[in-house]
Amino acid sequence: MSIPAIGAVSSITGPATVSGSSAVGGTGGSGFANALAGGLEQLQGTQTKADDLAVKASTGNLTDIHDYMIASTEASLTTQLTVAVRNKALDAFNEIMRLQA
Amino acid sequence: MALPSFSAIGIAGTGLTVYRKWLDAVSDNIANINNASPTSASAFQARYIQAQSVTDSQTGDGAGVQVARAVLSGNATGRVVYEPANPLADAQGNVRYPDIDLGSQMVQMMMAQRGYQANLAVVDRAKESYEAALQLGRNT
Repeated sequence: MSIPAIGAVSSITGPATVSGSSAVGGTGGSGFANALAGGLEQLQGTQTKADDLAVKASTGNLTDIHDYMIASTEASLTTQLTVAVRNKALDAFNEIMRLQA
Repeated sequence: MALPSFSAIGIAGTGLTVYRKWLDAVSDNIANINNASPTSASAFQARYIQAQSVTDSQTGDGAGVQVARAVLSGNATGRVVYEPANPLADAQGNVRYPDIDLGSQMVQMMMAQRGYQANLAVVDRAKESYEAALQLGRNT
């Protein structure tokens, strides 16, 4: 009975490229930093708007009370969102720093 | 990156503005309901607002509501009342009063008030929902 020769080990292919996650569009090189900066700018915008309306309210130039309440609500929500994004990023960074510790 | 703009709150805000203007119009109508005017002039006419839906031109989504224009309703003739003692009365002793029904104005005031409150409830509920979304995965 003839024993078939063992074939040579075929070369291991490199890790397959991950499909399903593509680079974040429109943010360019250092993606997350730019994204966070954009978010902060938008946050600044909502807070400036709320501040303007607060000044209008105290000077008696506010025609719609709800405009101010809505602007401050949106500013508060945007702040919470930005802080949540920043905390998540920091958590991820700390997790990576703890690798092999 | 563009942060989400929490559009439900902004849309409810447009509704609040429209109902505020409706309340203003009703308030103005009631304030002027007893204006006497000489028969040579026209009577006060009730003012209403015409609401119109707004569509986002880029996404085609609904973007709230706006006041298209103020509408003058009711006839300028009003009610001609015989009041010889009134300083504005003409030679026949007649003056004009606006032809506004106070009952109808009160009903419209209630509708405007309820609409305003409904939009406020939407703002509150949307804020609660967005805050709940921000708590997602927080306590694990």
